[in-house]
Amino acid sequence: MRSWLPVLRDRRRYIAFELEAEYGIERKDLLGEVYSSQMSLLGDIGASEDQLVLVAFDGRFGLIRCSHKRVEECRAVLATVSSVGSTRVAIRVRGVSGTIKAATEKYIPQSILQAYDDKRKIDWPVSGSVAHVLGCEIDICPDSQEITGRSGTMYVGLTSFDLCGGDVDADGTSDGL
Amino acid sequence: MNYYECNLHSLPDGSDSPSRLALVARRLGYAGIIICNYSGTGKALGAEAAKAVKGIEVAWGAELMAENPRKLHQRVASLRNRTDFLAVHGGLEKINRAACENPKIDLLVHPQRGGKGLGVVAAKAARDNQVAIGLDLGPMIRFRGGTRIRWIKTVKRDLVFARKFDLDLMITTGALSHLDMRSPRALMALAELLGLERDEAQRALSFPGTILELNRKRWLLPGVEML
Repeated sequence: MRSWLPVLRDRRRYIAFELEAEYGIERKDLLGEVYSSQMSLLGDIGASEDQLVLVAFDGRFGLIRCSHKRVEECRAVLATVSSVGSTRVAIRVRGVSGTIKAATEKYIPQSILQAYDDKRKIDWPVSGSVAHVLGCEIDICPDSQEITGRSGTMYVGLTSFDLCGGDVDADGTSDGL
Repeated sequence: MNYYECNLHSLPDGSDSPSRLALVARRLGYAGIIICNYSGTGKALGAEAAKAVKGIEVAWGAELMAENPRKLHQRVASLRNRTDFLAVHGGLEKINRAACENPKIDLLVHPQRGGKGLGVVAAKAARDNQVAIGLDLGPMIRFRGGTRIRWIKTVKRDLVFARKFDLDLMITTGALSHLDMRSPRALMALAELLGLERDEAQRALSFPGTILELNRKRWLLPGVEML
């Protein structure tokens, strides 16, 4: 497509983000939620100036394109995404760059730790079974739902430090289970 | 700038252990967090494990919930010397007013929760007693539509008071889980939409650190420090 003078071309920024979610999220559900948050926060006029597009999303990391003047507004929009459907999520902006290549190389790690499902049980500080482990961070599915009722989450967030009584090395190379 | 998240809730109030909150806060770029549970200085679950997380300061405070001013003042008197940071759960008009009139209180969180916000009298009292006002951005993140519009209206009016009387602000999310937490940059972007300047927002995010430092010194009298 070459229908625009090069000097009048839009300038863009690419926002590399990481999605923290309790379950896997589909691309189209995430996009729908981002658009509805944007509409709700900024209204039609504001949203039309953002030129927000979800360029890529692989389930955890993603790239959003926006106008170069509206990066802070887009950051605010992404901060207001708190759930997709009934799943609690949080979008963490990792960095902003002017090209897809730079954003990918600088802010999206090429090798990542994979979350895995686990059925081991623990009984302190809450009783429940292990849902995910990611580095030092451990999500517990509690036996009693009362404990997560107030925050609206599905899992209790713990770390390996909680389970080992504190004598694990701080790099979290052992998960303490 | 050293940014602090000043009103987090850990187990059993929220659904995350202190060390998990600390790990996530470190990743988001905070220099420290203050965990303010409703139970006050009662030993929190996993308090020891939080010490193992390096590179971030984990401070312990309390968020007081009281149904009337008399009970509030009683609890403040009993907790003040046992905790580094004292916040009050605002919302009720009389609680907002009572909290602003007590110089032992560090922070009045979400005075807008009842829909009323601060009044002129409470704002003046907050200035005289150096009580900071907590701008809880949780509702801006969670709510949509009419509820959020009413909330924004109340907050904007309170920010006018804060400017007029030169009140100290602290920005927080009142997170109950690590999924409620947001990075300092994201909170600044949200605060700017509410009409705060960038440097005001930066100051509001780093102000809890100053208060913690002051509270950890031993004061004999106002202005007289025990060395």
